Amino acid sequence: MIVPLNHILLLSGLLFSLGMFCTLARRNLIMMLLGIEIMLNAAAVAFVGASLHWQQMEGQAIVIFILAVAATEVTIGLAAILVVYRRTDSVDPDMDAALWEKGGSR
Amino acid sequence: MNWILLTPELTVLLAAALFLVLACLKPDPRRDYQLAVTMAAFAVAAATACATMSGDLFNHVYRVDLFSQVFKALLAIGFFLVIFLCDDFQGVAPSHHGEGYFLLAVCTLSMMMLASAVHLLAIVLALELSSYSLYILVFLRQEHRWGMITGLRYFLVGASASAIMLFGLAIIYGVTGAVHIDMLIQQLPAMMGHPMAVTGLLLTLAGFFFKLAVFPFHFWAPEAYQGAPNQVAAFIAAVSKVAAVAILLRMISMAQGNSDQLARGLIAMAVISMTVGNLAAIAQRDFKRLMAFSSVAHAGYLLLGMLCMTPAGYGAAMFYGAAVLIMKYTCFMVMTRVADDGRNLQIDELAGLHRRSPLLALALMMALFSLAGIPPTIGFVGKLMIFVAAMQKGYLVLVLVAMANVVVSLYYYLLVLKAAYLDEPAQVLPSISLTMPARLVAVAMIALIVGLGFYPTTLLDLVQAAVLRLP
Repeated sequence: MIVPLNHILLLSGLLFSLGMFCTLARRNLIMMLLGIEIMLNAAAVAFVGASLHWQQMEGQAIVIFILAVAATEVTIGLAAILVVYRRTDSVDPDMDAALWEKGGSR
Repeated sequence: MNWILLTPELTVLLAAALFLVLACLKPDPRRDYQLAVTMAAFAVAAATACATMSGDLFNHVYRVDLFSQVFKALLAIGFFLVIFLCDDFQGVAPSHHGEGYFLLAVCTLSMMMLASAVHLLAIVLALELSSYSLYILVFLRQEHRWGMITGLRYFLVGASASAIMLFGLAIIYGVTGAVHIDMLIQQLPAMMGHPMAVTGLLLTLAGFFFKLAVFPFHFWAPEAYQGAPNQVAAFIAAVSKVAAVAILLRMISMAQGNSDQLARGLIAMAVISMTVGNLAAIAQRDFKRLMAFSSVAHAGYLLLGMLCMTPAGYGAAMFYGAAVLIMKYTCFMVMTRVADDGRNLQIDELAGLHRRSPLLALALMMALFSLAGIPPTIGFVGKLMIFVAAMQKGYLVLVLVAMANVVVSLYYYLLVLKAAYLDEPAQVLPSISLTMPARLVAVAMIALIVGLGFYPTTLLDLVQAAVLRLP
């Protein structure tokens, strides 16, 4: 039995909203990065579902590339967060330049 | 496979590979700069030489036609100009110059691929590659205080925008079952009444609107411009906009003009972008922030041309994209030369510029007149073409709103000009010395702005022929 496409789109839509909520609401850089990750994976789920629905392999090929893109995104994001954390002792996205100065003088 | 079609991309790829190696060796800023300028000049030569080629590559995933080749030539010229501006590359630590050139080359390469991509996967990959290289370029700022925080925010907004775009593409694929632009062109126009298809297309466009800094996705622009090294800010403001215009034209032309819902969404974004950009720019005291908000306003004008969904509108948007490249580059060139230690330039610091360097002051004046749309400049011709295209579609109110916006924008452009020409500096500053090539480029920019204002026919014919390749 094949799950109907609408159900899959609903699931991925739900996942996408959760990810977006996480990105917008959490005041923690790591959690925001996780939220973006969940949004990317929601798109991947939708691609796999659509690929099954249309009986094509192209959707699944795109998912593999999405995984690579997501890995790149985490690499850059975590590297930047790490530098910021070392300087400011904070993972709050609202930090301002003053805090940076204080941390930078350590 | 015909590799000759790929010459512009291969040249830039070669430059990227060269600087990948050089970045691992002992840094030598002088050598790196000379090599970078040489490679960029080769890229310009290759891109202009290949301008009339056409053909399909990689199983029809990659299309080389006049449309993509004109954009590639523009991108290569922008790449050369920005690299040329890096002669002292202040704002980036000398040990990182190699990386800077490498990332600029990779970014240009991926934007060239974006202009040619006709498969959703190719579009996604090219867009992500160009975004990621830009994020790291912002991080390269020597004063970490600026580069890191703004770079991190730019990255977070950008990654969210690309996730939204991917989700939109997934919906489009779910509704149509097509991943190639040619297939989508056959299927989408009939489905534009389907709410899912319109949602998918709008979400997809969100990713490209982020690149162009259109209203709901413009928040990164002022911060990223302020945080980035001056030359990188010039690259983001001038060159990356050209790529955004290319891909937006490809995506919007897919609907083939029969979507009122899409047009209405675009109209709202265009009007709000212009208004928000122009009103926010009035309050700015930092030159780069002012340019960022003026970019938002110009994104609105560009969108106005695209949402006409007629060849005239597409051609006008493409012409204006080229105009934005020239105008913005000239503004950033003047700024980089004045702020010669790589600091963020305040508008007050332009005081007495006409005495310190008459040539730069003249270049700034022409660029600002052009941005404000005063004849006879390229910016005036571009705006005129866009408004004419919109009038042909009957968008009278829209044109009136845009005209009102042009008047508002005149105010803050003239404030900058007043600082450069009329204000007296607090203390007497030494005159700015320019090397001979720098003078030549400044003169060339002035000549282009005025020359294309008087004789736009050649470029207009070229872009009109190019947009005919769109469906």
